[in-house]
Amino acid sequence: MNLAEILSFLPYGKYALYIWLSYGITFILIVGLFVRASINHKKIRNQLKNKYAREND
Amino acid sequence: MWKWIQKLASPKVFYETTNKLIPWFLWPFIALLILGLYWGLVLAPADYQQGESFRIMYIHVPSAWMSMLVYFIMAMAGGIGLIWQIKMAEVVAKVSAPIGASFTLMALVTGAVWGKPMWGTWWVWDARLTSELILLFLYLAYISLNNAFDNPKTAAKASSILAIVGLVNLPIIHYSVKWWNTLHQGSILEDLTEPSVHPDMLWPLIIMVFAFQFLYGVLALMNARDEVLVREQNSRWVRAVVTGEQS
Repeated sequence: MNLAEILSFLPYGKYALYIWLSYGITFILIVGLFVRASINHKKIRNQLKNKYAREND
Repeated sequence: MWKWIQKLASPKVFYETTNKLIPWFLWPFIALLILGLYWGLVLAPADYQQGESFRIMYIHVPSAWMSMLVYFIMAMAGGIGLIWQIKMAEVVAKVSAPIGASFTLMALVTGAVWGKPMWGTWWVWDARLTSELILLFLYLAYISLNNAFDNPKTAAKASSILAIVGLVNLPIIHYSVKWWNTLHQGSILEDLTEPSVHPDMLWPLIIMVFAFQFLYGVLALMNARDEVLVREQNSRWVRAVVTGEQS
């Protein structure tokens, strides 16, 4: 029995593996893009804050 | 119109505009995504030839489409930056590259996962697949070239030229299914006046294409507003924004 058959109890039967795999990878990539954007946002603001704080000393 | 463009070219106005626009792209994206996924994954009937596997289309086609559209936007913005020296166009080009590369990767991976049950193989060196892979390499080359220079101006110049030269790949991707004999099927969204698929399958696809456009919009805006802060870090308004003072 291969993986596609093992996962065929999921919705979409014999194609379940392929459909959930492709949707899963897409989901991870999209979430990753948002996470990257918000980490970058915080990092840049902190860096600039520190830079301005140093300049004021 | 021209006045508006000139105004938008000022970093401060650009920053404020991106900030304001983010929710206008985020919420339509979420709404269209939920609608498109529900319609495509639950309501749409199974295909008479491909069974349930055709549902991969709802992410494969929009991401492939966006991989080309984002490249086009990136090259155009790069060109505008080169010709008219508009710094904000350089920002748009720069932040578009990683997003476009992700869409390309999405298209390639979902295509491979779809190809396995339909064609019996994850990958073939076929014209459509190969040209899309070249698009991914173009994005990666653009990103590394952009990061190779310390001066953002030189970086934008070099990478924009690369992006414009790479534009030649877009028609090759688009027409590859017509010019060569390929395993890849023809375009579904080619002629909407005479669609080749049933409306119940077509509508979710159109909705997902729009969802992905809003997705690009929100991601580009989020990244662009931070890129502007970095580039303009020596100006007074950035200091005011970051430290929370009123400017």
